[in-house]
Amino acid sequence: MKRSPQHIRIACVLAALAAVFGALAFRLFQLHVLRHGTLSAEATAIRERVVHREGRRGTIVDRNGNLLANSLSVHRIVADPQLTASQAPVIAQKLAPLLRKDEAALVQLLTRQSRYVRLDQKIDEETLQKIRSLKLPGISAEDQFQRSYPNAALASHVVGFVDADHKGVQGIEASMQNYLQGQAGYEVIERDRKGREIRSLRTEEIGPRDGYTVALTIDQVIQHIAETELDRAMAEHRPRAATIIVTRPRTGEILAMSCRPTFDSNNPGPAPADARRNRAISDVAEPGSTFKVITVSGALNEGIVNLADRLDCENGAFIYAGRALHDAHPFGVLSVEEILYHSSNIGAAKIALKLGPPRLADYISRYGFGRKTGIELPGEVSGIAHPLSRWSKLSITRIPMGHEIAVTPLQMIMAVNAVASGGQLMKPIIVKSVTDEAGNAIVQARPQLVTQCLAPRTSVLMTMALRKVVSPEGTAPKAALDGYDVAGKTGTAQKIENGQYVNRYYSSFIGYFPASDPQISILISLDDPAGGAYYGGTVAGPIFKAVAEKIAQYLGMAPTMRIIDPTKVASLS
Amino acid sequence: MRGGTVGRSLLICGCIAGVGLAYVWQKNQIYRLGDEIKKRETAFSASEKRTAMLAAQLAHLKSPAQLEQRCQQHNLGLVAPHETQVVRLYEPGAEWDTQLPASTSPAKPASPRSTTRVARR
Repeated sequence: MKRSPQHIRIACVLAALAAVFGALAFRLFQLHVLRHGTLSAEATAIRERVVHREGRRGTIVDRNGNLLANSLSVHRIVADPQLTASQAPVIAQKLAPLLRKDEAALVQLLTRQSRYVRLDQKIDEETLQKIRSLKLPGISAEDQFQRSYPNAALASHVVGFVDADHKGVQGIEASMQNYLQGQAGYEVIERDRKGREIRSLRTEEIGPRDGYTVALTIDQVIQHIAETELDRAMAEHRPRAATIIVTRPRTGEILAMSCRPTFDSNNPGPAPADARRNRAISDVAEPGSTFKVITVSGALNEGIVNLADRLDCENGAFIYAGRALHDAHPFGVLSVEEILYHSSNIGAAKIALKLGPPRLADYISRYGFGRKTGIELPGEVSGIAHPLSRWSKLSITRIPMGHEIAVTPLQMIMAVNAVASGGQLMKPIIVKSVTDEAGNAIVQARPQLVTQCLAPRTSVLMTMALRKVVSPEGTAPKAALDGYDVAGKTGTAQKIENGQYVNRYYSSFIGYFPASDPQISILISLDDPAGGAYYGGTVAGPIFKAVAEKIAQYLGMAPTMRIIDPTKVASLS
Repeated sequence: MRGGTVGRSLLICGCIAGVGLAYVWQKNQIYRLGDEIKKRETAFSASEKRTAMLAAQLAHLKSPAQLEQRCQQHNLGLVAPHETQVVRLYEPGAEWDTQLPASTSPAKPASPRSTTRVARR
């Protein structure tokens, strides 16, 4: 059968159409079935983006909620040199004044062989808006956090600081890192043609969690009082270093802790490592006469001596094991109470001889010397308290006056706190609480008894004797307060250099008040005062008085001793 | 008969068009709400940032060192009164501690029922 030309033409058109649609169908099959996986992934990669969101680092506050550290949102300005290289001089000219950078240096960065260059960090919101308004190609901003310490150097040794990655390096910032660091979150977003997020197409969202708030036992005002007086002491006595600790004896709470030299937490870089060290917990020194508190309290607790017992202090020179032991001033026969407030080395040695090495070693251990106190600050050291097996024959006469033993200021004040508060050695507390965003307590500090060092009766006897230290007959009359009964002990220890005792001193005073109901205890120590005076009572005593008076005023503590006759009230009114 | 068929067809087409329009409207609403949420999120984030910055500024201004400096700058002459400048008024009958001899046992601390601090010039 012969086909007409019309039919042939129709068949040709149909064949052509079939070929075209066949090709299209094949292409669709290829794209949607054979290459589906690859192309789908490519499309998703162009459209979707995973955005990571950092959680804000938690804040650090003092015991009254005053801010000591928080994190501020700042920005990092970055560039894509592939987009900026062609216009680098123009972009650099516009950016240089805003970033306060050299134009030539910016041009160098903007033309680098890379797709990502950081131009500047820690840019505030205002500057960022100015940069955005310039609409510069290839320039964008990233969010970052900057740690801020509004009080600068105040309590810097306690609060510490963070590194460039916002990770705690020192102080509470380091020890409470796990609580302070926020938890990062992420979002899977879809972007439009201009790269803006299409919010309704956000497929996954796990929000970041901010870090917890850490409240310290530090009181900002007491810390300021302590640091102001410490600065005054540094100017007056020019010591190499100085330390002050203020605590509540009954609970072990640290109200203030500071060292000199110091540093600004906002900019710790320029400060030498020496200035950044928290000497209150990481430096050890022979405590000197403050250690007599340990010796005498041990002997009283064992019933070996009474405060009224009298001992011959050998007129200032006592030969024991072939070596002479001297007093700063020669004393004859003194009572145990007088030995304490005159600070007789020979008297303390004789009391220790009565107590005996094993029991003295036992009391040293009971008071926690040679062990870390467990304070929640990094860098604490144990001090040096040799075991009894390593004692020499002389040790029993040297350790009682604070030689042959090295302690941290914190260990020493905690030991005196035990004497002040019924013989109970408490664990020092620096973190009061950790709370979440809603204010729920994650951690709540409670006073923790380490051990009962002394019987309460011994504690009362020791307080009676230590009150005399600040009397006109004692070694620290300059530490006495108007209106408050003070108990304390001075310390003036010769320093060792190259294995020899030299004429450099470690001067200290530890006191608590009101002695009848101890509310506050203060340790002051000055390492090598250079102003001429070096006795603990002369150098550290007045600092104690100045700090204690201001703290009493601040806390509104009612005087325990009469300072104004109430009958005068009538005449005043 | 024919008119009924056309009517049914138009109704079905209208329904389909209605559903389509409703879908588009709903999609539009979702996008609009998304944009609103985004704006709120941005504003909230900005507020959080501003709050943190203001908290730091406030803490700096409230810091004891700053307050002391301001007192000095403005020459206000504000100082804490010394304990001897404070008159404490005790309620009648409240225990008044006498000065404790140094070597007696520690006495009970003064526990006035109420005290008033009055700075004496």
